[in-house]
Amino acid sequence: MSEPIIRITNLWKSYEVDGLGVSALRGTNLEIKKGERIALLGKSGSGKSTLFNLIAGLDRPTKGRIEVEGQDLETLGDKGRTLLRRAKLGFIFQFFNLLPTLTVFENVFLSLELANRPEPELALNALKEVGLKGKERRFPNELSGGEQQRVAIARAIVKRPSIILADEPTGNLDTTTGNQILELLTRMCQETGATLIMATHSPLTCRYATRILRMVDGAVLEENSFGEMAH
Amino acid sequence: MKIVTKSFLRYLPRRLSLSLLQLVGVACGVAAVVGMTLSAQTALRSFSNTIEFLRGRSTHTIQRPVGPMEEGFLSKLGEDPAVKWLSPVIDRRLRLENGESVRLLGIDPFLDRTIRPEIYRIEFLGEGRENLENLLSFLTDERAILIDSHLKEEFKIGTASILKTKKGPLHIKGTFPNPSGESLVLMDIGHAQKLYQLQGYIDRVDLILNDESDFIFRWGKGFFIQSSLQRRETFSGMLQAFRLNLEALSLLALLVGVFLIYNTAMFAVVSRRRDTGILRSLGANRLEIVTAFLSEILILGFLGGACGGLLGFFLTRILTGLLGSSISSLYFFLRPEPVAWSSWIVVIGMGLGCGASLLGGALPLGELIRTDPVKALSGRIATPESARKAKRAGLGGMIVLFLSFILFILPGAHVYVGFAGVFGFILGVSLLMGVIFLMLHPFIKRFLGRVGGLSGKVAAGNIRQNLGRTGVAMAAFMVSLSMSIGLSVMIGSFRESLIWWMDTQIRGDLYIGKIDEAEVPEDFFEEIKRIDGIGGVHPYRNVLTLYRNTSINVSAVDSTILKKYARFGWLRGGNENWEGVKKGGVIISESFSRRFNVKEGDTITLEGIKGPEAFKVIAIFYDYTTEHGLVMMDRTTYIKTFGDRRLNNIGIFIDPDQPRRAELLEEVRRKAEARGLPVRTGSQLHQNILDVFDNTFAITRSMRAIAIIVAFFGIAGALLTLFIERSREFGIYRALGFSTGQVARVTLIEGLEMGLVSFILSMGVGTVLAMLLIKVINLRSFNWTIFYFPSLQPYLITGITAILASLGAAIYPIWRIFRTYPQIQIREE
Repeated sequence: MSEPIIRITNLWKSYEVDGLGVSALRGTNLEIKKGERIALLGKSGSGKSTLFNLIAGLDRPTKGRIEVEGQDLETLGDKGRTLLRRAKLGFIFQFFNLLPTLTVFENVFLSLELANRPEPELALNALKEVGLKGKERRFPNELSGGEQQRVAIARAIVKRPSIILADEPTGNLDTTTGNQILELLTRMCQETGATLIMATHSPLTCRYATRILRMVDGAVLEENSFGEMAH
Repeated sequence: MKIVTKSFLRYLPRRLSLSLLQLVGVACGVAAVVGMTLSAQTALRSFSNTIEFLRGRSTHTIQRPVGPMEEGFLSKLGEDPAVKWLSPVIDRRLRLENGESVRLLGIDPFLDRTIRPEIYRIEFLGEGRENLENLLSFLTDERAILIDSHLKEEFKIGTASILKTKKGPLHIKGTFPNPSGESLVLMDIGHAQKLYQLQGYIDRVDLILNDESDFIFRWGKGFFIQSSLQRRETFSGMLQAFRLNLEALSLLALLVGVFLIYNTAMFAVVSRRRDTGILRSLGANRLEIVTAFLSEILILGFLGGACGGLLGFFLTRILTGLLGSSISSLYFFLRPEPVAWSSWIVVIGMGLGCGASLLGGALPLGELIRTDPVKALSGRIATPESARKAKRAGLGGMIVLFLSFILFILPGAHVYVGFAGVFGFILGVSLLMGVIFLMLHPFIKRFLGRVGGLSGKVAAGNIRQNLGRTGVAMAAFMVSLSMSIGLSVMIGSFRESLIWWMDTQIRGDLYIGKIDEAEVPEDFFEEIKRIDGIGGVHPYRNVLTLYRNTSINVSAVDSTILKKYARFGWLRGGNENWEGVKKGGVIISESFSRRFNVKEGDTITLEGIKGPEAFKVIAIFYDYTTEHGLVMMDRTTYIKTFGDRRLNNIGIFIDPDQPRRAELLEEVRRKAEARGLPVRTGSQLHQNILDVFDNTFAITRSMRAIAIIVAFFGIAGALLTLFIERSREFGIYRALGFSTGQVARVTLIEGLEMGLVSFILSMGVGTVLAMLLIKVINLRSFNWTIFYFPSLQPYLITGITAILASLGAAIYPIWRIFRTYPQIQIREE
């Protein structure tokens, strides 16, 4: 049996709100294998985004351990976590989070530059793959929501990361566009062999997942497959 | 260029109008410093150039302690073995017909050629005339002069011309090069003696000595011998306090500039916070973010600094003239040429802009480095931190204030320590701004709620919630307004003190002659004395001399007349002090007392014509004529000590009950005018003195205006920051049904509130600043007491300025609101 690409052990994350401790994650345990496509369901405030931020090394846990490709994030240090995000992680956000001052091409090329692979052809190919050929010179505000999310996908996949974290990738899109985006995302992950973790409110997203998890009050629970859920 | 950096820099052209606003703010701050520093430097360089040029190759000068010296000493000097060369000089002011004053040197061209050879590259006027012929006419024509290149250019001198002066027309025979900034006229020494009625006298002798100690041993008694270096130091020392105050003013402008840059940089941090979060999530490290941010603020620093350098250069054209006329009015004639254009000015501006940007950007940079990507991405702003930060800053402010207080009470501390204390005080209260605002907030909220309704309440809440941004802008504005109030109150008090002082000392009906140029012939004085019915004719002589190798003034007065007519402001005692003066004692000005630590009853020693003479100090009086110190003695004592009978002016006192008052004054006026002597009434003299005073503070006023302009941009920047930072919030307002007008009103009230709070605080801070300037800085710089005269005017003017500036600062953000608010949605992108 292959080693999990992400292993989370007894993960806790607490915040202080008005002097009171509030736990977003309460002893979460999780193992994700390479190539899995996971839908992480949960209500707002259930801890999905917190979990993503912790996996990406943007935030640090109060207690517990996160291993990505066998490396403990805590021991990596800030520099190591930054390098991890550059090389192995792709991030897709609900509100796209494109840099408004950069063109479509530059937004994608930025990922390559940070990963120390400044090859323009890779960025152009990625944009072609997401169907944005010819729109490379446009700025984000000149694109529709769906197009902006395509750029975000191109930015995430262009450096061929082993893990893609998509936080509500269709949350800001209409159903048709959302489905197109999810199809694109899953197809590209299949092609590159990347592990995809999608945080979502919507059970429809589960159609594109190979494994479904549910977050309830800071804990991760295993769900049935989409087929079973649908019936 | 790295794309991370590019993503930051693209904001500059994308928000062009805002970038320009920020740029103008930085440029104004830099312009103030460049303009003031360059002008001061130009004036001082021009002054040292003039001294150097006039010194020529001479190593020493010899002169009487006061007044001119007898020509008879020349032959003895010539025989002295230590004297290698000598050149007698008459050094006077010549008033031109247009009212301008130039320096006239009376020299012996054959002797002077060795001392000042560069002057003798003369271009004689008149085509086809031989040089010898011209030289001869310079020596034989009693009204012949040579003028320098500046005057030639100014008067467009052609082949032959005449220079019209208050002493009649003078014949220009030729021109000579003059690299110094001061216009110069040369005349044969014999003719100059005649022109100034100095027959048998000269002002000084310029010497080339080969043995200083031997020479001083033989000539030290009854003469002042100064080496060129000492002479330069003596003059430089006279400008020390003036220069220090200019430097302090520049620093205050820079301080406000740094506040503004902090604001600008903070604005950049706010606008880039989300981008920073995105970049960090994509794997950009802190160094890349820092580089991008630094590039942005340094570009603003570079461009703003370059524009500031250019603006500063144009500012020097105004300030140099102001400085020159201030120095000329207060110390000695100086007409500095405005600084010549050099690309270095822009480079200096860039350096200043970048330096100030780094200084002002240091804290915002720290904030950016600490940006939590998770919070930045979620759009959460840590509002509770604002109050905590304000409290922390307030604690720092208290510590700085305490340290400043210690600096003020240090006994005998230098004026630099006083300035450090003032800067500390300003910094301390600036740091307290947030805490004071938090204390005032409930009242402000209630007030704005009543005045502005819902918009007022929202505005009050916004300022409180965004204290991190608004606090700095308010602090910068408060400092500028405090400076305005502090300087205005100080200047106003000084002016009132001066008026009080003039009323104590300048009580004559008429004054004949001008202290700095014309001398009144003694026979004229006697002639006026003989007019029946005049209460008193007061002879006044004022000269520069040295005391403990430092330049001071000595005045000769008639103590009997002054006892009767003047009402001197004494530090101790009253008019009975004149009795001691009549008996040979002296009275000293407060500045002299403080500068040399001399008290009543002490003895001071001055170099007289027969060597050192000791004088008992009878009393100390308030005086604002010179910060270098003034010793006043009776005319009989003066003549006995210095052998100088000359008069600078005479004052005419007529008793109030004299029935022929108008007739007598008219008679004196007629007689004076017949002799070509300037006549002024007492009130005219008062007005002249006040004009000089106002002229001196013109620079201070201009610096104050610049500080307010700089702070104005600070408020505008803060309002824009609020607008951009809360664009999501505006989406909510819109969804809730806030009209564009209501949101614009919120911004307007925010601007007004910031201006109002800054003004309320500046009233207290400005008053304390005024007291510090009066009681610490002026006392330590100029050694004189200024009495505090409270006045409403500075507060009213500053209040109106604050309200107008804060309303003006809101215009651009409001324009932005009208343009963008109708499209704002509740969304992040």
